[in-house]
Amino acid sequence: MSATVSTIRQPLIEGGKTYHQITEDICTPTERTPSTAWVIAFLFAVTGLAVYVFCLAWTIWNGIGTWDLNRTIGWGWDITNFVWWVGIGHAGTLISAILLLFRQKWRTGVNRAAEAMTIFAVICAGQFPLIHMGRLWLAFFIFPYPNTRGPLWVNFNSPLLWDVFAISTYFTVSLLFWYTGLVPDFATIRDRAKGIRRKLYDFLAFGWTGSAKHWQRWESLSLVLAGLATPLVLSVHTIVSFDFATSVIPGWHTTIFPPYFVAGAIFSGFAMVQTLMLLTRKVLNLKEYITLEHIESMNKVILATGTIVGVAYLTELFIAWYSGYIYEQYAFYNRVLGPYWWSYVGMMACNVISPQVFWVKKWRRSIFVTFFMSIFVNIGMWFERFVIIATTLARDYLPSSWSYYTPTWVEIGLFVGTLGLFFTLYLIFSRVAPVIAIAEVKSILKSSGDQYAGPNAAHQHAAHSEAH
Amino acid sequence: MNQFTFEARQKATLGGFMILGLLCMGLTAIGDDGHYTRLWSNYLHNSVFFTGIALFSLFIISAFTTAWAGWYSQFKRIFEAYSLFLIPGLVLMLVIVAGLWGGMHHLYHWADPNTLDPNSTHYDPILVGKSSFLNANWYTFGTLVFMAIWIFFAWKMRQISLDEDTNGTTDWNHHHRLRIWAAAFLPIAGFTSAAVVWQWVMSVDSHWYSTLFAWYCGASWFVSAIALGIMSLAWLKSKGYYERVSSEHLHDLGKFLFAFSIFWTYLWFSQFMLIWYGNNGEETVYFFERMNNYPVLFYGNLAINFILPFFILMRNDTKRKYGTLIFASILVLFGHWLDFFLMIKPGVLHTKHEMSGHHGAGHGDAGHHGTDHAADAGHHVADAAGHGADHAADAAHGVAETAAHHASSAFEAGFSLPGLLEVGTFLGFLAFFLYMFLHNLSKANLEPKNEPYLGESYHHHV
Amino acid sequence: MKKGANEVLFGLYDDEEILLKAVKQAKNDHLDIMDVYTPFPVHGLDPILGLSESRLHVAGFIYGAIGCLFGFLFMTWVFTRDWPIIFGGKPYFSAPAFIPITFELTVLFAAVGMVVTFYVICGMGPGTINPTLDDRITDDKFCIAFNTNDANQDAIDRLKGFFSATGASEVNTKTI
Repeated sequence: MSATVSTIRQPLIEGGKTYHQITEDICTPTERTPSTAWVIAFLFAVTGLAVYVFCLAWTIWNGIGTWDLNRTIGWGWDITNFVWWVGIGHAGTLISAILLLFRQKWRTGVNRAAEAMTIFAVICAGQFPLIHMGRLWLAFFIFPYPNTRGPLWVNFNSPLLWDVFAISTYFTVSLLFWYTGLVPDFATIRDRAKGIRRKLYDFLAFGWTGSAKHWQRWESLSLVLAGLATPLVLSVHTIVSFDFATSVIPGWHTTIFPPYFVAGAIFSGFAMVQTLMLLTRKVLNLKEYITLEHIESMNKVILATGTIVGVAYLTELFIAWYSGYIYEQYAFYNRVLGPYWWSYVGMMACNVISPQVFWVKKWRRSIFVTFFMSIFVNIGMWFERFVIIATTLARDYLPSSWSYYTPTWVEIGLFVGTLGLFFTLYLIFSRVAPVIAIAEVKSILKSSGDQYAGPNAAHQHAAHSEAH
Repeated sequence: MNQFTFEARQKATLGGFMILGLLCMGLTAIGDDGHYTRLWSNYLHNSVFFTGIALFSLFIISAFTTAWAGWYSQFKRIFEAYSLFLIPGLVLMLVIVAGLWGGMHHLYHWADPNTLDPNSTHYDPILVGKSSFLNANWYTFGTLVFMAIWIFFAWKMRQISLDEDTNGTTDWNHHHRLRIWAAAFLPIAGFTSAAVVWQWVMSVDSHWYSTLFAWYCGASWFVSAIALGIMSLAWLKSKGYYERVSSEHLHDLGKFLFAFSIFWTYLWFSQFMLIWYGNNGEETVYFFERMNNYPVLFYGNLAINFILPFFILMRNDTKRKYGTLIFASILVLFGHWLDFFLMIKPGVLHTKHEMSGHHGAGHGDAGHHGTDHAADAGHHVADAAGHGADHAADAAHGVAETAAHHASSAFEAGFSLPGLLEVGTFLGFLAFFLYMFLHNLSKANLEPKNEPYLGESYHHHV
Repeated sequence: MKKGANEVLFGLYDDEEILLKAVKQAKNDHLDIMDVYTPFPVHGLDPILGLSESRLHVAGFIYGAIGCLFGFLFMTWVFTRDWPIIFGGKPYFSAPAFIPITFELTVLFAAVGMVVTFYVICGMGPGTINPTLDDRITDDKFCIAFNTNDANQDAIDRLKGFFSATGASEVNTKTI
């Protein structure tokens, strides 16, 4: 396949690769014994996972009283972490689905790992609504099934239940989308494998042959799933925002929350993808597939969504004043100057001010700046959720109920532990599956490989109209 | 042929419709009340609608340029020409500004100085609270300065684009410059468009507020710009221009129409459902008014802008058929014009009733003054007491009264439903927009030369 | 095509552009291609092969419609007939509140339904083993395969001639 490609476009695959080299480069990390870097990272991650399991057991055994929640501040680190993780997960679907619909070829270098990140982030996110229930053994209450209690149905009008449906659907569809893309790549590994590995990948590859009819259906399926996943990803974080916006308390009840949350989710998700990609390309030696073009494109998305989030912050501040509603005005006064002012400053600094560095091309293409920015953005987005949740709850209508919240070691342990859970899953993924979409990268080689496109191209304007 | 000739016949047709528009505006004035409310609200409605389309055409160019989009390069001059309507748009809006200073219209309740006067029965503490923003000075500043910034960007990006035709090289220097301007415009458009939307449209319902409102209007304008783009492109192709634009390009534009109609619906639903769910009196008045007194428009808005485009444009083949695509585009353009009608008219009508109570005789609705006054005074007193638990009841009471005598006043020509005069005025404005569009289109090559993505656009295959 | 009983003659190509030319040639020569196998989806291949368009999206729409109706009608039944409860002063038939779950179920049913349909109609699933002609097809080789069950020597020679004329790098046989 060769299509007309403008010479203004930079190559997306470097090193003058052939199809076989692509296979080799991407499959090898799953075939050789793990490097020292991987092993050390895995040890750290598993330690974090152990911390998580311990704190989880502690919470379930001893109860939510081991946290610092009180009647005023009913949601603290638990829901902050939930929203934070769900937000991070959105980038994967966006890269896979929305960028597919927009035909952005650079997505092929990062989409597989980003989709995996989505699934692991949703797993981490889903922990918190479950464990904050307290009586986890009654968790089945939230599912609407015919029961002997009436039947007593769940409250379909509650945004908390909408969340159950949204997160479950999101997890299922992301998993299906991710796995559908993986099947041809598992087949590639299968056909190179021997012995017990062959048997394992035989199972995972579902009998993929590479038949033209199957590819046709696969592409059709990918497109429709992308078309479904796009409104899905918007709807999931929208429904999460409904948890707050359907209330009546100032600072929570505001109509801008749905798209503002979605923009923020994409913002933090892309930052996490950057963190993972910078590490992955270094450790697995995949710099020719996850190029500076990819890094720069993702930084531009971070800049754009960060600005959208900034517009939303200023809109909220202005409309709070404009409304003339003293409680709304106080809610924002409290955010900026109240006892949690430091989290507001952190939020503004990390989310609005710091991404502006990406206006400078040199910094957009700097690994160093990108890495630190990706961490800052995620810290900032964590602060944003904390500001919305804890700061607002701490001081609403009734001054006699005002309170303060400090997380206990259990809550901190749970959060750090989910980081361990996330990285454990990601590291296992990088051993078992190809972190880059092999077939998709091969399909863009002729248009975006550096021997075809960009300044070093051997052939310019490869236009074969007969192929159409 | 790479040059558009604006033929005399086309000019005459559009001129004819512009005269129709002026005629309708004249007829509106004749049958109008003492402050020409129907005329001014029609004028505001259409000026805002088409100026916003021009702004979002510039936004489309900026967004596509920043995203390295190649498929639309052939016909990007269409959106460029749309964006140049910002200049006549500024003139149109300056007439509103002049009317504001001269006290010629009662479009905005906050413009009534009695609302700020503690001795007046129309004293409104809520408006006093907002008066440091809702005043003629800021309105003028927003309209003049922000629109001037947009015009500067539109002009600058047009200059670079035209210069590329003559001096562009394969170093793509013009395009690199264009990208910087485009990228800079995006956040500026984001901030400034919100500010003017709050002034031009949201402040018509001056007690009400919604943080999502600016983005909701933006989505409406965006879809309208795409719809007009589709129609323009199809018309130009029928005249023999843009031969290398194929059903593949139309398909992509159709996908944008589909997707952003759904995005608009999502914003509509977010705003509606959150206000419905929270059930705060000061927010629900907005939808209560529209659902009860303008039900045809309210539900029709959703039907035309969501249900119809969703089912028509969902299938792959309909987005490639010119006829269906044009039909959907016409529906959507008219539908979003109705959307803005519904945003502006109820508030203007409410303001008219409140203010005509102050101005006494000479109006067709003289009988409403007493009840108007009492209901509004009660409404204001309740507001002045702060938003306590009883406010919802009072607001509901106030609304029920207002709604009651709105219902009893039943049909208000030009407000309850757009009448023939509204449609005629719309056609006049549309003709003006298209006239300026074709005029600007004829001033440059139809297709940009030396544009980096032109080859991709020619060989575009979905 | 029965499993485990087919004689297949196949040629391997090194590049998709050569493959496309070969497939066109085969169509021109009225050769009956059994299947074409590639390591990634090759654009332009489907129309040349004469593959009819996939109708998965139609199935997806139907599944989605089922999910939509199921969700909305079930919630309506629960809250208007089975056990009506007043939540937050809202009416029993609180349509705006039903929308989020209805939407999610639409997407869920459509996605799951389509994916399952995809695997079923392709004859794939967890643990399914479909016979493959060559391990390098999922790497970098492109394959045209002909079924030679009832072919005489002339036909096979003709096919081999076709392969060498169109630039196949290897020609092999296999029974699958």
